Amino acid sequence: MANHSVKPDNFYHAATEAAVKSYDIAIIGAGPAGMSAAITASKAGASVVVLDDKALPGGQIYRNVTQSPLRDPALLGPDYLKGQTLVEAYQQCSAEKLQQASVWHLGDNGEVLFSREQTTHSLHAREIILSCGAMERPFPIPGWHLPGVMSAGSAQVMLKSDALVCDQPVFVGSGPLLYLIVAQYLRLGIKVKALIDTTPKQNYLQAATEITGALSAPGMIGKGISLLNEIRQAGVAHYRYARELRIEGENQAEAISFSSGGQSHRIDAGHIFLHQGVIPNLNISRAAGVDHHWCPQQLCWKPTLNHWGQSSVDNIAVAGDGSGIVGADGAALMGRLAALQQLARLNLIPRGQLQQQAAADQRQLDRLNRFRRFIDRLYRPLDAHRIPDEPDTVVCRCEERTVAQLQAGFAQGGNGPQELKGLTRCGMGPCQGRQCGHTVSELLAKWRGEPVDKVGYYRLRSPMRLLNLTELSHFTRLEPATHPAADKGDKA
Amino acid sequence: MNSDVLIIGGGIQGCATAYQLAKAGVSVTVLEKDWVSRHASGVNAGGVRVLGRHIAEVELSKAAMQIWHQLDDELDADTGFRARSLINIAADEADIETLKKRQQQMHQLGHFHEKMIDQQELRQRLPHVADYCVGGVVSEDDGYAIPYQSTLAYRRAAERHGARFIEGASVETIRKVGSNWLIKTAEAQYEALHLVNCAGAWADQIAVKIGDNVPLCHSAPMLMITTRMPHFATPVVGAVSRPLSFKQFENGTVLIGGGAKGFADRENNRTRLDYSKLATGARNAIEFFPIMRTATVNRMWAGLEAYMPDNLPVIGASPNADNAWHAFGFSAHGFQMGPIIGKVMAQLILNGASSFALDAFRIDRFERKVL
Repeated sequence: MANHSVKPDNFYHAATEAAVKSYDIAIIGAGPAGMSAAITASKAGASVVVLDDKALPGGQIYRNVTQSPLRDPALLGPDYLKGQTLVEAYQQCSAEKLQQASVWHLGDNGEVLFSREQTTHSLHAREIILSCGAMERPFPIPGWHLPGVMSAGSAQVMLKSDALVCDQPVFVGSGPLLYLIVAQYLRLGIKVKALIDTTPKQNYLQAATEITGALSAPGMIGKGISLLNEIRQAGVAHYRYARELRIEGENQAEAISFSSGGQSHRIDAGHIFLHQGVIPNLNISRAAGVDHHWCPQQLCWKPTLNHWGQSSVDNIAVAGDGSGIVGADGAALMGRLAALQQLARLNLIPRGQLQQQAAADQRQLDRLNRFRRFIDRLYRPLDAHRIPDEPDTVVCRCEERTVAQLQAGFAQGGNGPQELKGLTRCGMGPCQGRQCGHTVSELLAKWRGEPVDKVGYYRLRSPMRLLNLTELSHFTRLEPATHPAADKGDKA
Repeated sequence: MNSDVLIIGGGIQGCATAYQLAKAGVSVTVLEKDWVSRHASGVNAGGVRVLGRHIAEVELSKAAMQIWHQLDDELDADTGFRARSLINIAADEADIETLKKRQQQMHQLGHFHEKMIDQQELRQRLPHVADYCVGGVVSEDDGYAIPYQSTLAYRRAAERHGARFIEGASVETIRKVGSNWLIKTAEAQYEALHLVNCAGAWADQIAVKIGDNVPLCHSAPMLMITTRMPHFATPVVGAVSRPLSFKQFENGTVLIGGGAKGFADRENNRTRLDYSKLATGARNAIEFFPIMRTATVNRMWAGLEAYMPDNLPVIGASPNADNAWHAFGFSAHGFQMGPIIGKVMAQLILNGASSFALDAFRIDRFERKVL
């Protein structure tokens, strides 16, 4: 400790620096990528901490798989149930597991700050793996902001965590997850009013060019087809090649209109669930200063990584859907690879063994990625469903900013997302840009006539999640093991 | 490219100066190394206050306040300015004593805009203030504006009068060629008769190139803003002796400042926050306003800002070079002064003198005789 006197302002820093708990590897997110990284790393003798903001490990895909509120969780399908094995292996590994720990800052000095039990905690880690998964792609069509409209993924979250369902919903969009949720609803005996499929006709042709990739995983194609068959056999109205979507209603969704097969349709609906695929959840990797690039195949921003998942920031790797959409199996493989590389950096496994230990995983990951190219092509969302055209369509839901308002901001000199944000407040609300960031990048690229890569994204900073002021004010004890009760003592 | 005046720095001082000069028919070019309003001018707390100003700044600040009250009309833009009053809260009797002394001094100098209020009036104006607060001081004309919009409003108005703004233009060399200044960036070179240094946290580097040394330092004052809350505070709020400052905007979000500083990485245009100090700010806000317990922080940030050792800006002519002028080092309270600084700089350049006393702001005020 320094021998000069310390000002009160700096006191906590100086006094508790030594007490901050430190680990070899901190893993953010306990989905398939985070769990498998934790298993691999802890087996090799690394000290590992996993911080996850949910009550139970599993991530979105295996949410509550070990403690389902449903009487028969098997109805959710074998891909859900197989998560049990991974979650159990994870629970048995020696990593320290912090559930309901909401990470809101990663410092360039290795510091990790998180909220848990009403207090802000801090820890240090030599290496960090971000495995924060995916979020649903925004679906900015007229009326998507109305009450009664939500994402199909949110509907699935309610189903998995609280067994809550909604009667007679209309599902709209495209992609395997959408079909899966519809099938899950049907298996539970819930009536589904319609499935409005927005997969464009030409996608089927264009996807054929990636058919060799698809054939590398024939089982997965079969799964998709059987889901759609299941939906059709249940008698759900199924409209294909839908476009010109418009959700109608004054203060609440009342109907959806669209065209399909050259005909106009209108369906009364109070509950409309939208989904057009998932994109990486990048608020953490962005705020941590990791380089990102625009991926034309998946039409989203991705952290720029080498094939171990290592990012442009020395001590940060990204694994799983947060790195680009790879699916649960790919995520588990990536988690293992990222952990292996960090173990080698920590000298816990010999560098010479790295390639050999990773070879089989990498081959399998390559195979999955070939299949992914097919899926990405097949379910590539229409430009019209990503880059809204109509002036009144809301882009930023939090601040209720429309295409027309953004266009006015652009005309005033809001050339980049950050400047546009300053001019219009688009992206300043509580979702921290998650709902509008991709749309804004693509809109500006269109208006500027330049590639999305050149337009960029919002400049994001910590906190990466909303943070209660009281929790922040309790930032006095930096040791994670501290009980919150002890904090009250030093406040007086 | 030639112009009468070349301004380095596209913050509010540079933009306001460009506006006043362009309006007077002078050809102006502004060089901005990033983009206009990228740093302190765009990300500050937006406080527009005369309250608590250093004596040397009071006249300038009062004149600036008059401009703020009609600035939207003048610039034909929305700066987001709202006159909401500013109250500095006295937490105890010692604070009251401080305020009394200040009031006596201000009255002697003929300034009457700061009015002390007792506990009852404090509670009337701020119903949610903590019980123990004993009074305070209010300045009725004060308020806030939206910094990014305000700076941009000046830029747009300047452009309408013919000023040119070059963004992404970082100055590499500054030389005198005859009576002209020759300024080179990576892409181009510019010539002008007059050179104005409004380079904020980078102004010392520009000053050195002109030939003036200045003990400027830079830091990163931090801010945080909450999600929308029910309306609970109309005036802007500060505290007499504690690092607290906040304002609730019309949309319900609450901006919390207080002057705590993070870490400035000037070379890389970056700042790092000091979260333990933000936690202190959170604690202060909750202690003064218990309703803030449930507030939710949405964003935290810091801007790169220039500080002088006496926290007073540099405003005036270069002592070592002809036709070079400085306006920088506002030490985290220059946003409100922007409108008057633009006028002062235009006066200096066009008339060679200002109607304001600027002696306290000389760039060479820290020069010492060395034995």
